[in-house]
Amino acid sequence: MELFSGLDLSVAAGESVAIIGRSGAGKSTLLSLLAGLDTPTSGQILFAGRSLAQLDDPARAEIRLHHLGFIFQSFHLLPELTALDNVRLPLEIQAAADAEQQARHWLQRVGLGARTDHYPAQLSGGEQQRVAIARAFATRPEVLFADEPTGNLDEETGLQIIEQLFSLNASQGTTLLLITHDLELARRCRRRLHLHAGRLEEVTE
Amino acid sequence: MSLLPRLARRQLLTQLRTTEWRALLLATWIAIALTTLLAVLGDRLERGLLHQSAALLGADLVLSSTRPITPERLEAIDLADTRHTQVIQFPSMVGQEEEWMLVSVRVLEPPYPLRGKLVTDPATPPGALPAPGEVWAEPRVLAQLGLELGDSLEFGYSRLTLTHRLLASPDRGAGFRSFNPHILVNRADLDASGVLAEGSRADYRLLLAGSSENIRRLEQQLRPTLTDYERLYTLRSDQPLTGNTLGNALHYLNLAALIALLLSAMTIVLALRRFALGQHTRSALLLNLGLRPDQLVRLYLYQLLIAWAVVALLGLLTGYLLQGAVYQWLADLLPQSLPPAAWWRWLIGPALGLALLVLLGLPPILQLARIPVAHLLRGDPPPQDRTALLLQGCSGLLLIITLLAFLQAPAAALSLLLFLLLGGALFGWLAQWALSACVRPLARHGLLGRLLAMRLRQQRRWHRLQAAVVVMLLTLLSVIWVSRSDLLQQWQAQLPDDTPNYFVINIQPWEKEALSRFLAERSLQTELYPMIPGRLTELNGEPIRPQLDPQQRSHNALRRELNLSWSRVRPPHNPLLAGEWWPPDTTEPLISIEQEMAQTLGLEIGDRLGFDVGGVKVEGRIRNIRKVVWTSFRPNFYIIFSPAVLKGAPTTWITSFHLPPEQQQVSRQLMQQFPSLTVIDIEQMLSQLSQWLQRLADSSALILGLSLGCGLMLLGVTLLQAVEQRRLESALLQTLGLTAERARRLDLLEFLLLGLVCGVLASVSAEAVLASLHLYLLQIEPRLHPWLWLTLPPLSALLFVLLGLLIRRPLRLEQCYRLLQSG
Repeated sequence: MELFSGLDLSVAAGESVAIIGRSGAGKSTLLSLLAGLDTPTSGQILFAGRSLAQLDDPARAEIRLHHLGFIFQSFHLLPELTALDNVRLPLEIQAAADAEQQARHWLQRVGLGARTDHYPAQLSGGEQQRVAIARAFATRPEVLFADEPTGNLDEETGLQIIEQLFSLNASQGTTLLLITHDLELARRCRRRLHLHAGRLEEVTE
Repeated sequence: MSLLPRLARRQLLTQLRTTEWRALLLATWIAIALTTLLAVLGDRLERGLLHQSAALLGADLVLSSTRPITPERLEAIDLADTRHTQVIQFPSMVGQEEEWMLVSVRVLEPPYPLRGKLVTDPATPPGALPAPGEVWAEPRVLAQLGLELGDSLEFGYSRLTLTHRLLASPDRGAGFRSFNPHILVNRADLDASGVLAEGSRADYRLLLAGSSENIRRLEQQLRPTLTDYERLYTLRSDQPLTGNTLGNALHYLNLAALIALLLSAMTIVLALRRFALGQHTRSALLLNLGLRPDQLVRLYLYQLLIAWAVVALLGLLTGYLLQGAVYQWLADLLPQSLPPAAWWRWLIGPALGLALLVLLGLPPILQLARIPVAHLLRGDPPPQDRTALLLQGCSGLLLIITLLAFLQAPAAALSLLLFLLLGGALFGWLAQWALSACVRPLARHGLLGRLLAMRLRQQRRWHRLQAAVVVMLLTLLSVIWVSRSDLLQQWQAQLPDDTPNYFVINIQPWEKEALSRFLAERSLQTELYPMIPGRLTELNGEPIRPQLDPQQRSHNALRRELNLSWSRVRPPHNPLLAGEWWPPDTTEPLISIEQEMAQTLGLEIGDRLGFDVGGVKVEGRIRNIRKVVWTSFRPNFYIIFSPAVLKGAPTTWITSFHLPPEQQQVSRQLMQQFPSLTVIDIEQMLSQLSQWLQRLADSSALILGLSLGCGLMLLGVTLLQAVEQRRLESALLQTLGLTAERARRLDLLEFLLLGLVCGVLASVSAEAVLASLHLYLLQIEPRLHPWLWLTLPPLSALLFVLLGLLIRRPLRLEQCYRLLQSG
């Protein structure tokens, strides 16, 4: 089965790109390909000029570790770790010297400076997603993948999260790849791409 | 078949593939097999050895006395319309040429037995007894002495011909001696053999049989006239004739089983918990489709019942095989073959299995029936309220009551339960502390160390439970393993080389001179001590019992006749702790008392003690307190009088000596020259004791081995509880930039470290238990067991790593994102 055909997409540094499409269109598969989590059967994906498919597992892990960040629809915080430890996790993997300090800094940036020692179960959905955002930005990734980041949140909380996401994105100059079916949300990105029948089309207003 | 049972069967068949159902079924299987084993074997032992029955007693009523039953005593009993006979039983060495052994001799006269029958090979007609000049012996005697039928056996001055193997017999007598191999001889041979002289230790029994009315009349007549040295055994006696020791052993095995049952129960709880978690959506869907909550409960109950039926059959079969194996194992140590168990005993195992499944299964099933249909839309879990907690508490309590009732020793089982819970909590906490202590330095130096530190924090609840179970099990198994072979040997090894290995008792006054000469000629250093039975009756001129509290009254010195002695000089192996020894020629009535007895009864120097010695009152004043090492294998006494007091009383003498291996023939010469002496070979006795200890240890090791099986399953189920979370975590870590290889190493490192910590803790606690056994039970210096330290940590690490690998499924990178997306 062919999932995608004639896909040709290049994203410049600092751009924000929304990929929209119906469920089942293959948005998440596209994202995992772009992030090097999966390998295409044909074609290639270049990151900073290097073909992801030709890299071995440790090299791709290295790229994810130092250059990519992720925000998930269902947050994926580790329930037995505090907010602080959850944010620390990727910094620890990076062996950052001041992991704890940085984690505190990012929790403060998302407005959770007072809740560092709370466990995920003690936080609301919106707060959990803010912890996840702090975790994603903590390693200062060059590219941030966000997969339906407001999908599990009510409208108002979703809006707050989006505000936070875009303001951090702007201040950090991160490239953002956002997957959503929410057109309002997509409109906040500089580019919007519509995934349909395995093809990507640029959406213009 | 209606819908619900059919659906239940289908559900079960699908779920059989899940690890939690396999663990649940295995745990129930082991619980049922183990319970069946104990219930059936216990009943057989009890029916065969512990409970009185006329066929076992050999009579309807038995008067047992440590002194000969005199014609006057016999005349005083109204024996009209009652059959009766007399039996004398005593320990003696018998043998041929070089081989000698300690046996229990039963001297018989017809009619015998009054109830039950003797089974012999070759067979004899009912009522037949060894003819004068003949001896019948149990197969163990023939085996140990290397004799065949037709050979002769030396019995004191007599030489008897071995004509029959004794396969089964009633009336084996009381206590541990009934476990010695028996020989039967005719009353007519007793005097000629010269083995039993006046004052020798023996059990004289009057066996009585008749109509129940006559027996009741006799019992009423005899009971008020019983003397200190007499006991009456009836069919209803509370005191079992044979083997308190065996009863204790059974309790001990039952307690060992409690551990396995608890582990099974925990496995079942966790397996059901995981099962129920996976059934939320299905239950909500079934309810949404119109199933009523009570139908849903029935559906899951059917599923449990079907599972139970299958496992009960398997468990019964396993239990049957196990009890057969253990019985074979014990058969050569048991005095006779055992009757089959009562049929209903076979039901106990399956019933307990059903109780386990239903009591533990109901709370999660009832919870499932309360799940809101909205779960389908929003994923709401079932309500966690007080009712749910109350239900869990009630069923837990009911289960504990059921277990305690099954084990029949509620107090001991309850304390063991508490001990296990507290010990488990302690070990869990210690393991967690040790783990974090180990990881702290690692965390400063590498990524894996830091991730491990987080993993430990994340898994701490499960680590505590896993460590508690593994440490306790390994400790128990090591202690049993070590004590099985080691304890008795070590205790024997620390005895000084010249520790006596022979006791000689029943030395008559007229034999004393000749015996001393005999031993001196062979350069054997000995002291002979007089021995006079007497009962402690008075303290400072008043009856002693009312002056003591119940605990003091339970001291040995008040429960039975004491062996009193007298001496001019202090026994060299009894140092004085207080007071002074008397001048050798004193005529004052003075007493030297053993320290522990003095302390327990609150006696002090200057107190006057009164004794009843053969009906005569004897009194003395305490002059000093001695220390006695009871395990020195030298004649030791609670009470030693100054010479003047007891000189007239009927006395036999006792001595012990050390016979070096090259002088072993001396014991035979001794028996030939002095046949009325009872020579006891201590090494033979100890080896018999050690045989029993080993079989007991092996049987409990079997049970603990099964417990280890349960423990491993529990471990597996606890690892399983967190397996999804572990997968999700692994997916997240890999997405965040960890390689699959490192994720694998992180898991392995966690299991390895946990295993090592548990192994070390188990070594420490096993050493602690063994050291306290050494110190308090054997009273010898504790010593370390280096091989425990070398084997336990790697063994336990291997255990964790293997189980971990079994449960862990590797996660490919491309699966990671999909997992996170669906999760």
